[in-house]
Amino acid sequence: MSIGRDEVLHVAKLAELAVRDEDLARLVGQLNRIVDYVAQLNEVPTDRMAEPFLPGPPAVTLREDVPGADALARSPAELAPEFKDGFFLVPRHGAMEDQ
Amino acid sequence: MTKWETVIGLEVHVQLRTRTKMFCADQTTFGDPPNTNLCPVCLGLPGALPVPNAEAIRLATLGALALGCTVHEKSVFARKNYFYPDLPKGYQISQFDRPLATGGSVSFDSSERGRVRVGITRLHVEEDAGKLVHDRFPGKTAVDLNRAGIPLAEIVSEPDLRSPIEARAYLTTLRQILVYAGVSDCSMEQGSLRVDANISIRLAGESRLGTKTEVKNMNSFANVERALEAERARQVALVETGQRVEQVTLLFNAVTGQVKPTRSKEESHDYRYFPDPDLPPLVLSPTWIAEQRTGLPELPDAKRARLETEYALPVYDARVITSEAELAQYFEAVVDAGADPKIAANWVMADVMTTFNDRGNFPVSPVKLAGLIGLVREGTLSLQAAKRVYAELAQAPDQDPRATAERLGLIQVSDQGALAGWVDEVLTAHPAEVARYHAGETKLLSFFVGQVMKRSKGKADPKGVQPVLQERLQRMVKSAAR
Amino acid sequence: MSTVVSGAAAVATETGKRLAAAEGLNATLSWSQDLLDAEATRVDSMAEPGPLAGMALALKDNIVTVEQPSTCASRILEGYVSPYNATVVGRLRAAGAMIAVKANMDEFAMGSSTEHSAFGRVKHPLAPDRVPGGSSGGSAALVAAGVVPAALGSETGGSVRQPASFCGVVGVKPSYGRVSRYGLVAFGSSLDCISVFGRTVKDAAQVLSVMSGSDPLDATTVNRPPMRVPEPLQNLRGLTVGVPREYFPPDLHAGVAAALRATIARVRELGGEIRELSLPNSSYAVPTYYIIAPAEAAANLARYDGVRYGPRRIGPEGDIRSLYRATRGQGFGQEVQRRILIGTYVLSAGYYDAYYKKAQQVRSLIAQDFRRAFESGIDLLLTPTTPTPAFKAGEKTDDPVAMYLADIFVCSVNLAGLPAVSIPAGRSEGLPIGAQLIAPAFEEERLLAAAAALERVIPAAAEVR
Repeated sequence: MSIGRDEVLHVAKLAELAVRDEDLARLVGQLNRIVDYVAQLNEVPTDRMAEPFLPGPPAVTLREDVPGADALARSPAELAPEFKDGFFLVPRHGAMEDQ
Repeated sequence: MTKWETVIGLEVHVQLRTRTKMFCADQTTFGDPPNTNLCPVCLGLPGALPVPNAEAIRLATLGALALGCTVHEKSVFARKNYFYPDLPKGYQISQFDRPLATGGSVSFDSSERGRVRVGITRLHVEEDAGKLVHDRFPGKTAVDLNRAGIPLAEIVSEPDLRSPIEARAYLTTLRQILVYAGVSDCSMEQGSLRVDANISIRLAGESRLGTKTEVKNMNSFANVERALEAERARQVALVETGQRVEQVTLLFNAVTGQVKPTRSKEESHDYRYFPDPDLPPLVLSPTWIAEQRTGLPELPDAKRARLETEYALPVYDARVITSEAELAQYFEAVVDAGADPKIAANWVMADVMTTFNDRGNFPVSPVKLAGLIGLVREGTLSLQAAKRVYAELAQAPDQDPRATAERLGLIQVSDQGALAGWVDEVLTAHPAEVARYHAGETKLLSFFVGQVMKRSKGKADPKGVQPVLQERLQRMVKSAAR
Repeated sequence: MSTVVSGAAAVATETGKRLAAAEGLNATLSWSQDLLDAEATRVDSMAEPGPLAGMALALKDNIVTVEQPSTCASRILEGYVSPYNATVVGRLRAAGAMIAVKANMDEFAMGSSTEHSAFGRVKHPLAPDRVPGGSSGGSAALVAAGVVPAALGSETGGSVRQPASFCGVVGVKPSYGRVSRYGLVAFGSSLDCISVFGRTVKDAAQVLSVMSGSDPLDATTVNRPPMRVPEPLQNLRGLTVGVPREYFPPDLHAGVAAALRATIARVRELGGEIRELSLPNSSYAVPTYYIIAPAEAAANLARYDGVRYGPRRIGPEGDIRSLYRATRGQGFGQEVQRRILIGTYVLSAGYYDAYYKKAQQVRSLIAQDFRRAFESGIDLLLTPTTPTPAFKAGEKTDDPVAMYLADIFVCSVNLAGLPAVSIPAGRSEGLPIGAQLIAPAFEEERLLAAAAALERVIPAAAEVR
C-alpha cells in the first residue's frame, strides 16, 4: 500500500499539523517506508475470533459519585496562554459561531 | 400535497443527575463562575486519566431499562477524535460499537396514526464538552470548561417518526419517562436536554429513505416542531422543483423560524473511533441489572393506568396529573391525607399545577391542601373562599388553613338564624323579583342566592342559603294565599 | 534527638556537585539546588525515615511535578509547570526520596536514542559520541554516571531496558497496571509503564516497591498488594530459564552473543535449567508496536493545541485552525509529527480494520506466545536486551525504521504487559551489553530475586569474549 501526497495532506489536516511544502516530499517518503514496514502484519493469519488484547484489569472499577477532585496548585489563569474574566480565549472562527 | 412522507429520527442528549462529572470528581453545579470546577482530568492536562462515575452508569442503566432497552453486560468506552476549543483532550470519551444499551422503544398517541411506537436504536454514556461564548470578547471566542466532563446519556431513535408533531410528542414522552426514572432533569432551558434531528422525505409508499439532513440548534420542543416543519417544507420545495436534497447540517433560527445550512463546508468528520486504552471494559452483572430493574420507580404509563383504576379518575385527569412525576406524587399524598380523589384531582389540575408551572415547587403541603378540601366539604368554606386561602398559603406556607380563613374573614356562615336574616333582607329588598318568582320564573332562585352572597359579603354558605330561601319563598306564597 | 549528621542534606550537596560536573552529558532538563536542599530538609525532619530516605532520584521529564517544568523534551510544553504531582511522586517522597531533578528524553518518549529531544541529545557517559539509548536516555545516563543512585524512566516499547543495556545499569519494567500512570504524560496508553533505573537490582526493586500498588486515579492499575522487595536467590536451582530462538538470530552482534553465552553459562552454574523454545510471532512485535503506539499517541497528543496551557503560536490566517496548526506544527519535532501522522492514518476511515484492529489481534498472539511458554513449565525467559551495543549519534536518524529495530528484543514485552529487567552482562569494546529476564505478569518478585542472584555472579564491566 502506498500513501500519496494528497493522502498525507489529508491526514495532516485531520491531525491539525501544518506540513511545510519543503518537508512534504521527504515526509511522504518516510511515511511510506513506515507503512510498508508495518504492512507485513497482513501476512499473519489471525483467527477471526481473536479478541484484541489489552493488559490491565478485565473490568473497569467505578468511582463513587462524591466530590473531591485532585486539586490544582495553579489556577487555569496561571496556566493559560490567554485568559480573561475567567475564560480561556482563542481566536474566533466564523464557522464555530453556528454551534 | 400529502404525497410526501416525512421520516424523522431524533438524537437526544440528556445530562445525568450526578453530583460529579463522568470521569473525575469535580462538581456538576450549573451556573458556577467559569472555569472553577476543574481538575487535571477535565482540563485535559498532560498525565491525567479518566475514572468512570458509578452513579452515572447506574442512572444510564435505569434510563435504558425505563425505555425498554437491553442493557449489555459488557460495553466499551471509545475515543471520538476531533479538534474543537471546547474539547480539552482533543477527543471525547464516548461509546461506539459496544454501547451500554440497545433496542428499546417509546410509545405515544398520535391523532393521525393512533398509537405510535418509536424504536430506540441505542443508549450510551459519554462526557459533555465545555461551552463556547462568541460575543463577549471582540475577535475572540471564550471557553468555559465547567461543563466539560459532565455525564451524558445519548439516546438515538430509529427513523420511525412521521411528522414534526410526532417528533414533539416523542420528546415529551421521552422526557416524562426519564424524569420519572430520576435519570435527568431533562430541561432544555438549563441545557440538560439537547436535541438534534435527522429528517428526509420520500414519496408515500416508497420504502427507500431519501437523503437526510441534520437540524440543530433547537432550544425547545416547540422549536423542534417548528424547525422540522420548516425543513420539511424546504425539502419538499426543492424536490418539487426538480432539485436534489443535499446532505447538509442546518441550524434553526428561533427568531426567523427558518433553517439555514451551517457556514462550515467541511467534509463529514472522520472520528477515528477506537476503544479507549485508559478504560477497561464496563462489565455489569446480570444480578445488578435485574436489581436496577426492580428498583425502577413506577413509570408514566403504569401510573396513569393505576390512577384510573385505583382512584376511579377519568382518563383525562389521569393523563394531566401524571404529566409530571412530582404532580402525581403530590396528588397521591393529598388523597392519602384524606381528600376525595376526584376533588383532589380538580385541585391538582388547576391551582396546584399553576403554582408548580410558575414556581417549580409545591408551597402548600399535601396535608394542608387535604385540610382545605375538608373545610369545603364540611361547609366551613366555599370553594371560592378556599381558593383564596390556597393563594395565601402559597405565599406563606407555614400558615394554617383554618386560621388563614378566619383571618381573611372567609369562614362561611351556616347558622340558620344568620342565613334567615340575610334571606329576609334580600326578599324584602326585591319584591318585584319575588312576585316574578311566584309567577313562575323559578330560575330567579339563583339571583336571590347571589344577592344573599353579596349581602353576606360572601360569607353565607350557598348550600345552606338555597333551602332557607326556598322555605321562606314557600311561606310567602302560603301567607299570600291565605 | 538523633545525633546523626543530617544525611539527606549531605546527599543533596553532593548530588548538586555531581550534577554540575555532569552538565556536559546534557542529561538533565532542569534541576535545582534550592529544591534539592528543601527536599533534604523535609526528609531529614521526617519522624520515621522511609525505605528511600535520603535517596536523590531523577525523574524523566514526562513525569509531572509541581515545582519544576515538565516539558517531555518538547517545545510544545516549553515552560509548562504542572499544577499537580504524579501519584508516584507522592509515594516516593513519603518514603524519603528527594525529587528535584528532571531528566532529558526523546520528545514525548518517542525514540530509542534520546536524539529526538528538542533540547539537544544526551551523551553516553562512557562514550560521548554514542547515544545512551532512549527514550529514557537522560535517566539512564545519570545513573550510569553515578550522579544519582536511581532514576525513573518510562517504557512504551522498551525505553528503560534498552538504555539500561546501552549504559550498563539495571533497568526494570514492571507489569502493566502495577504502577500508577496518573501524572505520566501519555504516549501509548496501553503500553506505558513508569519504570526504574538503578545501579543494582536491589536499588531498583526498592524504588519499584514504593511506587507500586493500585491507584483510584488510574483505572488501568490492578488491584493487587504492592510489590515486596524480594530477597535475592542464592542460586537458581529448580528454575527453568527459557531461551527463545527468535531472540538469538545467527547474525546477532558478536559481543552481544558472547555476553549472552556467558550469562547462560552462569545460569547453569547457579543450578538453573536452560530450555530452548520458540515464540513464533516474535518478528511481528515491532510492526505491531509501530501501529498501536502511534495510534494511541495521535489521540493522546491531540490535547496539545495551545488553548489551555503551553506556549501558543498562531498562523497568518489568525483563526482557530491556524492556532492549532502553527502551535502543533512548530511545537512538535519531526519524529513526533511522523508518529502522529502514522497514528492518525492507521485509525482513519478505511484503514482501521487493516491496521489498528489487525495489530491488536496480532498483539494477542504475541501475548499468547509468552503465556504458553510460561505455562509449559518455564519460569523466566532470558534474551539479549538489545541487538547491538550503543550506536553512534546520527547513525540511525535518517531512517525511522532502522531506529525502530533497536527495540526488537524489548517491545514484545510491552505488548504483552509483562515485567522484565535488563542487567549489565559485560562489555564489548568498552561498551555495555545487557541481558534481559522476562517473567509472567505480576511475578516481579520472582524476576528480581533471580536477577539479583545473576547480578552477583556476572562481572558487569568485564570485556566479553
